[in-house]
Amino acid sequence: MAYAYLFKYIIIGDTGVGKSCLLLQFTDKRFQPVHDLTIGVEFGARMITIDGKQIKLQIWDTAGQESFRSITRSYYRGAAGALLVYDITRRDTFNHLTTWLEDARQHSNSNMVIMLIGNKSDLESRREVKKEEGEAFAREHGLIFMETSAKTASNVEEAFINTAKEIYEKIQEGVFDINNEANGIKIGPQHAATNSTMGGSQGGQQAGGGCC
Amino acid sequence: MDFLRGVMGSKPAGPQPTGAETIQKLCDRVASSTLLEDRRDAVRALKSLSKKYRLEVGTMSMDHLVRILQTDRSDTEILGYALDTLYNIVCNDEEEEQDDSEEENQQKQEDDLGAQFTDKFIQEPENITLLLTLLEEFDFHVRWPGVKLLTALLKSQCAQVQGIVLVSPMGVSRLMDLLADSREVIRNDGLLLLQQLTKGNAAIQKIVAFENAFERLLDIITEEGSSDGGIVVEDCLLLLLNLLKNNSSNQNFFKEGSYIQKMKPWFEVGDDNSGWSAQKVTNLHLMLQLVRVLVSPVNSPGATASCQKAMFQCGLLQQLCTILMATGVPADILTETINTVSEVIRGSEVNQDYFASVNAPSNPPRPAIVVLLMSMVNERQPFVLRCAVLYCFQCFLYKNQKGQGEIVATLLPSTIDANSISAGQLLCGGLFSADSLSNWCAAVALAHALQDNLTQKEQLLRVQLATSLGKPPVSLLQQCTNILSQGDKLNRRGSRVQTKVGLLMLLCTWISNCPIAVMHFLHNQDNVPFLTGQISENLGEDERLVQGLCALLLGICIYYNDNSLENYTKEKLKQLIEKRIGKENFVEKLAFITKHELYSRAAQKPQPAFSTPEHMLFDHEFTKLVKELEGMITKAVLRSSEEEKKEEEVKKTLEQHDSIVTQYKELIREQDSQINELKKQVTALTSQTENLESTITQQLSQIQQHKDQYNILKLKLGKDTQQAGNQAEAAHVNGLQPEELSQLRERLEEVQRQNQLLQTQLTEKDSLITSLKAEGVPSVEDSTSEVTELRKEVEGLKAQLQSQTAEITQLQNERQELLRGSEPTVAVPAEESVYKEKIAELESRLSAQTTENQKLKGEVKTLLESKESMEKDLASATSTSAILQAEKNKLQQEVQESKKEQDDLLMLLADQDQKILNLKQRLKDLGEPIEDEDELDSRDQFEDDDEEEEEEECDE
Ligand SMILES: Nc1nc2c(ncn2[C@@H]2O[C@H](COP(=O)(O)OP(=O)(O)OP(=O)(O)O)[C@@H](O)[C@H]2O)c(=O)[nH]1
Ligand SMILES: [Mg+2]
Repeated sequence: MAYAYLFKYIIIGDTGVGKSCLLLQFTDKRFQPVHDLTIGVEFGARMITIDGKQIKLQIWDTAGQESFRSITRSYYRGAAGALLVYDITRRDTFNHLTTWLEDARQHSNSNMVIMLIGNKSDLESRREVKKEEGEAFAREHGLIFMETSAKTASNVEEAFINTAKEIYEKIQEGVFDINNEANGIKIGPQHAATNSTMGGSQGGQQAGGGCC
Repeated sequence: MDFLRGVMGSKPAGPQPTGAETIQKLCDRVASSTLLEDRRDAVRALKSLSKKYRLEVGTMSMDHLVRILQTDRSDTEILGYALDTLYNIVCNDEEEEQDDSEEENQQKQEDDLGAQFTDKFIQEPENITLLLTLLEEFDFHVRWPGVKLLTALLKSQCAQVQGIVLVSPMGVSRLMDLLADSREVIRNDGLLLLQQLTKGNAAIQKIVAFENAFERLLDIITEEGSSDGGIVVEDCLLLLLNLLKNNSSNQNFFKEGSYIQKMKPWFEVGDDNSGWSAQKVTNLHLMLQLVRVLVSPVNSPGATASCQKAMFQCGLLQQLCTILMATGVPADILTETINTVSEVIRGSEVNQDYFASVNAPSNPPRPAIVVLLMSMVNERQPFVLRCAVLYCFQCFLYKNQKGQGEIVATLLPSTIDANSISAGQLLCGGLFSADSLSNWCAAVALAHALQDNLTQKEQLLRVQLATSLGKPPVSLLQQCTNILSQGDKLNRRGSRVQTKVGLLMLLCTWISNCPIAVMHFLHNQDNVPFLTGQISENLGEDERLVQGLCALLLGICIYYNDNSLENYTKEKLKQLIEKRIGKENFVEKLAFITKHELYSRAAQKPQPAFSTPEHMLFDHEFTKLVKELEGMITKAVLRSSEEEKKEEEVKKTLEQHDSIVTQYKELIREQDSQINELKKQVTALTSQTENLESTITQQLSQIQQHKDQYNILKLKLGKDTQQAGNQAEAAHVNGLQPEELSQLRERLEEVQRQNQLLQTQLTEKDSLITSLKAEGVPSVEDSTSEVTELRKEVEGLKAQLQSQTAEITQLQNERQELLRGSEPTVAVPAEESVYKEKIAELESRLSAQTTENQKLKGEVKTLLESKESMEKDLASATSTSAILQAEKNKLQQEVQESKKEQDDLLMLLADQDQKILNLKQRLKDLGEPIEDEDELDSRDQFEDDDEEEEEEECDE
């Protein structure tokens, strides 16, 4: 499939917070109830549409276990977006965010968009971290924030897509150097062509809106 | 320099220093010399000695060399020498000729040496990190030997070095930069380094892929001319294989990155026959392997399916089929292409359909399947090619009921096409040819046309073969057993066992799970005795597999027996086994199949791959069948008939139980749905209740609020009426001060508003009054004049009345007189009649006047009445005006009052302002910075609560 842009993402956060489940829900629309410890990293991909443009997301789901930390660090530099995940039912995973963030900031390119995710929002009765706390952390560190459930799929699409929107906006603003693939962004093979047709169809839509 | 000449040059006089001594001296110089040049010379000398005196240089100089790498970072020349030297002592693959003819295990010792020095070097993991840093140095003299050294270290201690690289920050990423080096030597050696680095390490493979390796490698391959390219292409392909083999994550990434599409042009080799160089064959071979890695049967079915789909969609499969049918393609490329096509179509309906439609460019055009099968049953074709064709045929039929039907149909009388060679004909030909390999391949191929397909198993029973002229045709099934039973008379090129095994596998597949076929098989009286004979005989080692398979076949006859043949019911067959073979013996023979050394190898993967033609014994699908049936048959045979009966009964009761259970299950399901319904209701009701509760709570809180307000108001009211000075109360009320102020402001505003309203009302009323007055005055005057008029009229009427009354009195008097005068004049009748007339006239005049008088009286009365009502009207109008006047007065008074109130409030505000100013002044005087006015204001109010309170109270 032809795409206008390709974004590379990483998913990071403590073990068991639901990183692999989020990816699986996003790519396969499935939920995996048993914890299948990720060894190293696993790859997943999906196409999304933003602003009428096809965008390919290539996602590397990393292992949260401490012993894999040195391996997973290799993935920070080449990523355009990161989903930093904690588990709202386990405060320790929230407490570790600072460490994760420091690590990410140190090893990634400075423009990497980070989305903070409080996962397992379906387990309201076992909640240990208030939504407000997540919001406050995100505000303090300049991140986008969302609560998700990989189980019910609530906000999962949004989490991945909103991150892409942020990256897309940064591209429009000229913040990203899109010609340097090390930033985790690639322009699609038929980008120019796609662009012009997109412009046309948008114009058409406007005309349609006018006559209705 | 002198001593160097001593070491290397021709023999000078005097005692020769040993190699070790020289190296020691050089090491000392490397360690202690303060002159860079001196150190550099010494390292260079070590380098030149490092091959001949590998052990000595390695043992003595490694630490010194590492130190040079650490400290002399600015001099690329010395770094280069040091790296070269380290490379020489670590590296094993010494291409050079060994001096003299030394012992055979020389190479082995060399290997040990390399491993030993590598161990020593990586004992300090820092050394690897150091090396990785040096690779960032662009200078050729550093980078190149650096690459070679790291490659050598990886070669000799792969896992450990990989481990260290993996944990050094950005280690792998840095090595990826080598592929971008413009100097070919470095790029090419970088490829070799990455090959070693990625060997068997999934984590590194993934990072390398993440660093865009696929893109770069595919670009290099294209730049270098794809399959026509040189060894660089080969190295790229090897690295790609490393990255993809057994790495599902990378395979997925490769597919998602649309790289499969980029592989398609690799196979556009066409018919131009520009020659097949050895390099090209190697390259193409690797390219085919890459395709196979992506669609391997060992991958997850989903992953393979999506790659297969992509390969069809981008035309890669079509391209491969072109190679398949092209001429002049080297045999091993052709073989590998067939294997590749096999796996690209295996289990994929679309791809299988496409493959069935491919025709060979022969005259007349034949289906590719037929052409391939011709090779399979052709003894002159290479063994591997024949195996590949079999694999291709198996993959074509794998999970392909339609394809199976088409193949079987070519053998059926109704659909047979006599004019052209068909797949079925070729298979039958192979089955009964004199070549055991053809027999085996054809039998297995036919078995695959029946795999998991009951319809085709039954259809194939219809096939009749014409044997020799004059004799009646014989069924295919029977022909197979006939050949089997020919035993030693069987004349075959190759191995008799191979033929038998092939046929037995076909028969087992055919009749398993198909009672009709079992019946057909048992129907021939010779078959069972043949099987029991084979199993019970004491045969040689190589026939034991045949015995096992015969036992399996007999077992299937029992297991899938529907007892429709009286002589060969389950029970009778079991008795036969017990009598002729013995149960234990039978089971033992059966078990031999899985114990065969080739069995487990075939069970591993679907591809028929055998090291020699003799090893061609087991088919992969057949091993699955054995696994499935062995246990069941063993059980069936070992069980006694009583046990069987009991079991049957148990089965029956179980079935009964089952039906009961099913009933209960149904009931439970019903109840479950009821419960669910009820639960839903409960939820709905609960949420309703919750809603109601929350409404109540809301209302309660509203009520509370109202109460509070009420209390505050009451409090205020109380405060208003009370005398000031109650401390507690004052404090309490102070708390409300700011609130009250705003309330006051509000009230002020309200009063002003009221004021305004009243004024407008007043104006309205004023004007109303004026208008009323204007209206009212003339009306009164009007009525008065009317009254006067009426009075006058009344007066007139009265006068008239009086005059008439007087007239009447006069007339009465006259009449009296007349009456008195007439009495004496009675006698005068004429005169009397005149009088009488005159009286009558008078009397009528009188009565007329009386009625007129009456009428006038009524008129007066009505006039009086109307006058009265007018007077009333007048009175009410006057009183209205009076009321209005009073109201106006009252309103004016009110306005006056509110004005006064307003004035008071204004005064209060002015007071406060003054106070604020004072306080500000005071603060200023005290040197306190004055903040925002509002803030200060409010604070001020708080501070002055008490005073203000009092003032306010006075005001109110
Ligand atoms: N209830 C609930 N469970 C979840 C959710 N997401 C994940 N889980 C469960 O949490 C466990 C861990 O999920 P994973 O996705 O494997 O965790 P991970 O973050 O990938 O862990 P590592 O691979 O070790 O880093 C699994 O048992 C999931 O079923 C969620 O949104 N809701
Ligand atoms: Mg995981």
